[in-house]
Amino acid sequence: MVDVSMPAVAAAPAARSPRSATRWLAFVFFGAALVFAGVAALLGDVFFFRLATEALIFGGLALSVDILLGRTGLLPLGQALFFGFGAYVSALVLKQVAPSFWLALAVVLVSATLVGLAAGMIAIRAKGVYFALISFGLAQVVSKIVFNTRELGASDGIIGVPVPQISLGLVSVDAAHAPSFFLLVLFAMAALYAGLAWLMDTPFGRQLAAIKANESRVPFLGFDPWRYKLAAFVLAANVAALSGAFYPMLRGFVSPELMFFQVSGSAIINVIVGGTGTLIGPLYGAAILTVLKSVVGSFTAHHQIVIGVLFVVSVIFFPKGLVGYLAPALERRWKRKEAA
Amino acid sequence: MTEALEWLQFVLAPQVINGASIGVAVVLMALGLTIIFGLLDVINMAHGEFYAIGAYAAVALLGAGVPFWWALAITPLLMAVIGYVTERALIQRAFHSKDRHTLTLLLTFGLAIIAEDALKIVFGANPLRLDAPFTGATEMFGLFFPNYRLFLMAVGMLVIGTVWVVVFRTRLGAMVRAAAFDRHMAASLGVPVGVVYAGTFAFGVALAGLSGVLLAPIYSVFPTMGRDFVLIAFSVVIIGGMGSIKGAVIAGLVLTQVQAISSLYVSPVWGDPLLFGIMVLTLMWRPQGLFGRLGHG
Repeated sequence: MVDVSMPAVAAAPAARSPRSATRWLAFVFFGAALVFAGVAALLGDVFFFRLATEALIFGGLALSVDILLGRTGLLPLGQALFFGFGAYVSALVLKQVAPSFWLALAVVLVSATLVGLAAGMIAIRAKGVYFALISFGLAQVVSKIVFNTRELGASDGIIGVPVPQISLGLVSVDAAHAPSFFLLVLFAMAALYAGLAWLMDTPFGRQLAAIKANESRVPFLGFDPWRYKLAAFVLAANVAALSGAFYPMLRGFVSPELMFFQVSGSAIINVIVGGTGTLIGPLYGAAILTVLKSVVGSFTAHHQIVIGVLFVVSVIFFPKGLVGYLAPALERRWKRKEAA
Repeated sequence: MTEALEWLQFVLAPQVINGASIGVAVVLMALGLTIIFGLLDVINMAHGEFYAIGAYAAVALLGAGVPFWWALAITPLLMAVIGYVTERALIQRAFHSKDRHTLTLLLTFGLAIIAEDALKIVFGANPLRLDAPFTGATEMFGLFFPNYRLFLMAVGMLVIGTVWVVVFRTRLGAMVRAAAFDRHMAASLGVPVGVVYAGTFAFGVALAGLSGVLLAPIYSVFPTMGRDFVLIAFSVVIIGGMGSIKGAVIAGLVLTQVQAISSLYVSPVWGDPLLFGIMVLTLMWRPQGLFGRLGHG
């Protein structure tokens, strides 16, 4: 089949404009999170801080899915593998080696790179739906192995992970103090988002966009798509593992459920609802779905059905997701204002 | 010598029979998945939930006083209707977009979430039991075969044989294969492609429902019962080749034997990792699976 679509060029129309609506929406997101933190701190709340921190952590996982699904055109059905991996490594380092935040983070990043490389070498060989299924299979294998390994706590996971004191040069953050830890995770996610948004604007990011648009044309431009896909895969593995590393610091335990398909699945739902390929969309998605789950969950135990319907409706009628529709609409409005 | 014979008779043979009866049901599931993928390019993530709906339909029918034999016949028909409506109402809508692979996969994934919770609401989360229509065992060659498992195998083989004859030896099957090979050409030659697509999806869903009914007396019936089972069916389809009928049958029977026999040596909890390990290795060596796709040679 001859595919005549133009690669890369049309992929990122908004990225160059100084008033990119997507970035503006990112500022809105992080600003709103700060406002939330202010209000919740004034009210002396803990529960909602913990919930919001968890939403951010799962937003980080969704962000890693978006790198692959929205920017490289690979659908990962097993991204929870790296999320759970990061959580387990972080928990083990904190519990067995030393309760040091920076040590845990460093070990997670190094090991996630190695595991991501190994898994990527296997998964990237397959194309299209086969990539989706092989990533799914890998996650299933590893989660079942963890589930059955007594040394890793088997089905109970690892409990009693010590809460680290996080030294940030001048100040020290206690991970047990909900507002401080929320701000720390918020800052980490903002840094991750900013770093990834910058990276997607570099020649590397343009290569990924080219691969997404038309992979078979990329070699004719003199680039090897395999290397870029592997790099994207390892990058996504690191983002997922890093998000996962925060989990035991928040909850004090890890369990094999973190690697299960439900976690990979909800990450995909967050991406689709929030806006595929927008990078900030997945964070919006994670926030919206967490709110939805706790609101609907307070009325009925069957919140899954509501989320399922929302997801099916957005796949059929709004495949671009919230930010995918909001950002262009905002840009059109700004243009009209400028013209007037 | 007698020791070896006794080992064959009392240790190996029961495992092989158990494996074969589960294997036939896995093949039925895998056939549905592979036919749907071969023709529609849809990875049906809701297949396990259709299997569960089939089992619950049987429970409901039996509870209403319908005899097992009637339930066995009615459930697949009911599931076919559900499948047809699902295809027409939902999957069709995502079908014409550029990345329909991803969209239809996501769509069926959403359906799976809804179906699972719906089953919980209607039937509750607790496992239900379905009594086998007959019990006892038959002795053959000095081995005992549980009657219900023999029956399951017989029905399964019959259905598999029928599927093969219909797909490869009838005019209807030729239309299906033509639509799988080139839907535009098939449409221009007068094949009602839309109906064939919906019908195929309905048929695959009916197969899932049928294996749900057949396995319900062996396992208990609960809302997430399809989840682990569909994973096995998925690995079978991937190893056999997405869209290959031959691959689904061969890989289904071989892999369930591998699982059954390996459980003699290692704890059964390692059966699934073993299966996925084989799947990952197969994909590394032959990403397209062992056999070719429906309608392609």
